[in-house]
Amino acid sequence: MSKIVTTHMLECYLDETLTDAELARVEQELRHSPTLREQLRQIIKDQDRGEHSVGAVWRRQHLTCLSRDQLRNYLLGVLDAGENDFVAFHLQTIGCAFCMANLADLQAQQKGTDAETKQRRKRFLQSSTGIVQPPKKKK
Amino acid sequence: MASESDRLLIQQLRNGEERAWEIFIARYEGRLLAYVNRRLRDRAASEDVVQETFLGFRNSLPNYDEKRELQTYLFSIASYKLTDYLRKVGRHPLQHVDGNSDILNQQLDVQKAASSAARSSERKALESDAVARSLTALLDQWRHAGEFVRVKILELLFVKGWANRDVAKFLGVSEQHVANTRFAAVKKISEHIRDAGLPADVFPELREEPS
Repeated sequence: MSKIVTTHMLECYLDETLTDAELARVEQELRHSPTLREQLRQIIKDQDRGEHSVGAVWRRQHLTCLSRDQLRNYLLGVLDAGENDFVAFHLQTIGCAFCMANLADLQAQQKGTDAETKQRRKRFLQSSTGIVQPPKKKK
Repeated sequence: MASESDRLLIQQLRNGEERAWEIFIARYEGRLLAYVNRRLRDRAASEDVVQETFLGFRNSLPNYDEKRELQTYLFSIASYKLTDYLRKVGRHPLQHVDGNSDILNQQLDVQKAASSAARSSERKALESDAVARSLTALLDQWRHAGEFVRVKILELLFVKGWANRDVAKFLGVSEQHVANTRFAAVKKISEHIRDAGLPADVFPELREEPS
């Protein structure tokens, strides 16, 4: 809630649970504040030394992350009010980067697989795996 | 734990079935691209990072542990590749600290592995599992009862680190309700950890007085 970048926000920064606005603020502050960068380095050191927290476990084990089915139903508007509200909260207030990515993916899928997507997948396939798809035979 | 469908896919990938790679890429590229592009806001660069992610996955496939959820594993690789990219282009906040990237590199280790840690990683994993199990049980209980407000309270307290009064104000509930919810969770987690023969005081939230 505070406008100040707290230690907890830096931990969330490392674990990808910041809203877009929070993320922008933290990155901006980190660029300008050597003290904050030192604080971030210290958190990383502590984590490497084995320090952890309930919050860190929650974030890293994705305890309240949303399933693809939940997100699909959210997009379709078929969740009950309580669950719908919670999904919106997890996405917008918590700012879970992983759930937001899944939501964006499902939204794109709703529009169907276009030629650009097919081309992109083909590029990934060729460049990542070395597998070149044979050209399809014309009927 | 990887889903049954992902486990089958992994098996096919390990068997070198080309069609499996097509399915794998079609299944995961969209969410990885969205994840990376949120940070980079540059479609071409994001595609490069996703490509690197798939390469990283292919190279680590023999060591992939199916106990890990595949999506989580891929996001971890993507996160590493993303940070690596930000560092290369000078956009990572720790880029120019003092030229010593050791700490950053340790953080970036996908496996979060070998640390010269004071406490062993096995011990840390046991503690994490105990916390996760007790919290999952509590959260499931509340979700099934439709008590989403209590789930939100805990998520704001633990995940975001908000103070009781801020949580109460944001959710429009009393500070007492927030305090009670925190107390119930801390009690449950502490009991669970003690039952597992582990010390609860390694977790700051279980030893601190709430603000």
